[in-house]
Amino acid sequence: MRALLGGVLGLPLAAMLCGLLAVVIPVDWHDWLVLMMLLCLVFWAALIVLAGVASSHWRAGLTLLVANGLAWLLLQTTTLYGGA
Amino acid sequence: MRVDTMKRQIDLHAWVGIVSGLALFVAFFAGAINMFHHELHHWQEPWRTSEANDTSMQALLDTVIARNPEAGNWMFLIPGDEPAAIWQETVDGDAVWHTEHASDFNDAGEAIERPHSELAGFINELHFRLGIPVVGLYLMGVISVLYGAALIGGLVIHWPKLKKEFFALKHQGNLRRYWKNLHNLVGVISFPFHLIFAITGAAMGCFALLTLVFGALAFGPQFQGAATDAMEAWPTPEASGNAATMAPVDRYLATAREQLPELEVGWLELQQYGDENAVVDVGGSVPGNVAHHAHVVMRADNAELLTVSAPGARPFNHFLLSPVYSLHFGDYGGLFVRLLYFVLGLLGCLLFVSGNIMWSERRTDRQGPSRAAAIMLRLTLGVTFGVMAGIAVSFMANKLAMYSPWPGTTVVAEKAAFVATLLVAVLSAFRVPPLTTARLWLPLCGGLYVLVPLLQGAIEGFASWLDPDRLLVNGALLAIAASLFLVDRLRAGRLRQAAPHPLWVGGIRPDATGPAEAGVA
Repeated sequence: MRALLGGVLGLPLAAMLCGLLAVVIPVDWHDWLVLMMLLCLVFWAALIVLAGVASSHWRAGLTLLVANGLAWLLLQTTTLYGGA
Repeated sequence: MRVDTMKRQIDLHAWVGIVSGLALFVAFFAGAINMFHHELHHWQEPWRTSEANDTSMQALLDTVIARNPEAGNWMFLIPGDEPAAIWQETVDGDAVWHTEHASDFNDAGEAIERPHSELAGFINELHFRLGIPVVGLYLMGVISVLYGAALIGGLVIHWPKLKKEFFALKHQGNLRRYWKNLHNLVGVISFPFHLIFAITGAAMGCFALLTLVFGALAFGPQFQGAATDAMEAWPTPEASGNAATMAPVDRYLATAREQLPELEVGWLELQQYGDENAVVDVGGSVPGNVAHHAHVVMRADNAELLTVSAPGARPFNHFLLSPVYSLHFGDYGGLFVRLLYFVLGLLGCLLFVSGNIMWSERRTDRQGPSRAAAIMLRLTLGVTFGVMAGIAVSFMANKLAMYSPWPGTTVVAEKAAFVATLLVAVLSAFRVPPLTTARLWLPLCGGLYVLVPLLQGAIEGFASWLDPDRLLVNGALLAIAASLFLVDRLRAGRLRQAAPHPLWVGGIRPDATGPAEAGVA
């Protein structure tokens, strides 16, 4: 169950973390897009593992939901979405 | 690490392994055979002592375009002993791919009726999408991510005792410990290989899904176009509607050789062929590099160079993308690396089977007789033996149908033979105790893999064994047979040393199995 939560909620979080990384790193994300996609897969797998070792289903689910929300809010403060 | 955290890591590793293990077994077993995909393409065809030569590539292109003008929109020309044209047609909005070979046509460009096989393609489909159309690729992508998670968990679990486990294949009396040690040893030896497969497999299976998620959550709708641009050697051209005379194929090859003398041409990709915006990408390999893929892109009307992407001279995205493919396919180091991948692929199969068996026995030991454990063990054995036997029977069906009075049934026979064998094996695994299944099906599978080369030799003549492609494929099949006989011998040896775990001799219903004690066998 925890791994399932990690599988479902881990992908959007991994993608948004990569988006935040693209904002922070001062290199055009188009130039390292493939690396970003590979990193996203590694983040996703790592999030499944982290969710899997949480002490309860609730804690894993809640932490992932909050992290997703935070990452989404942070992304809204950037010009990344829809930018060139 | 705290004990409860370690326990959760082990549980996670086991559960993720259980969810993805059988699919990975199919992918690895078919993938091991698929290491000889090119050779299998020749093996599947009727034996001929004289081969066509590659000077007919232009003739093939002209013939295919004349018969199907739409084929020039997007086509791959594959050079070699028997040139092939693979082109896309849009039927009711869906993309349909066609493959035609030079020998499919006579000198007048008329289609010749001849037996046709899709054995190599079928093995490839089993490998990358479990034979399931459309969603199979995405499913395998997600399974590869789970596989990656299992590997990370496995590393966390085994890192502290890595050195000890490397020498820990013990036999003393405890069958479960034996499976565990075998699983750990194979996992430790082949960990880098599995890491490569998890990442590259996930990358190939999940790129479409990632593009969707990145576009929706982080970058916006323009991400799709950016991803396509980042991965293509040259942007896909739009047809102008103005017809133009195309340069001959030899000029494309000459331009490519001029730019990259060391390029070994693997394919020519033609887009909007016949239009003034048409583009040709001569793709292939520059030997001596892991990231060996290279592209020479030119205009199709006058072969004027547009761009070159090759080792040492390409954008960062291509620099990363090339090893994703080459590390996955193992095509960067010649026959030695392919043979290494073949062996590691078979060892990977052992890893997944032993993982499932361990889970089933551990669950029984900890929780007592378990219906889930009994079903999982039987399913594991049924699918494992069914896939192995099914592929061997599919190989035999190829030769039997090809040389029968009904050669047109070859494609159907290959797939039907696989499906029927798989069903029989799964049903049989649920009908008889697992120990009987293993005792019967292991030598049976080994025998089938010996029988395939014998049948091929008997039908096509044993002189055909000297053909390098047939020799390699037959050798690989015999190596599989030898490894199956070896596993069967280990199984028999273990049974002589200790009684089997109760799960192997009991029924599916919990009351049919006596209470098991940890390490009883």
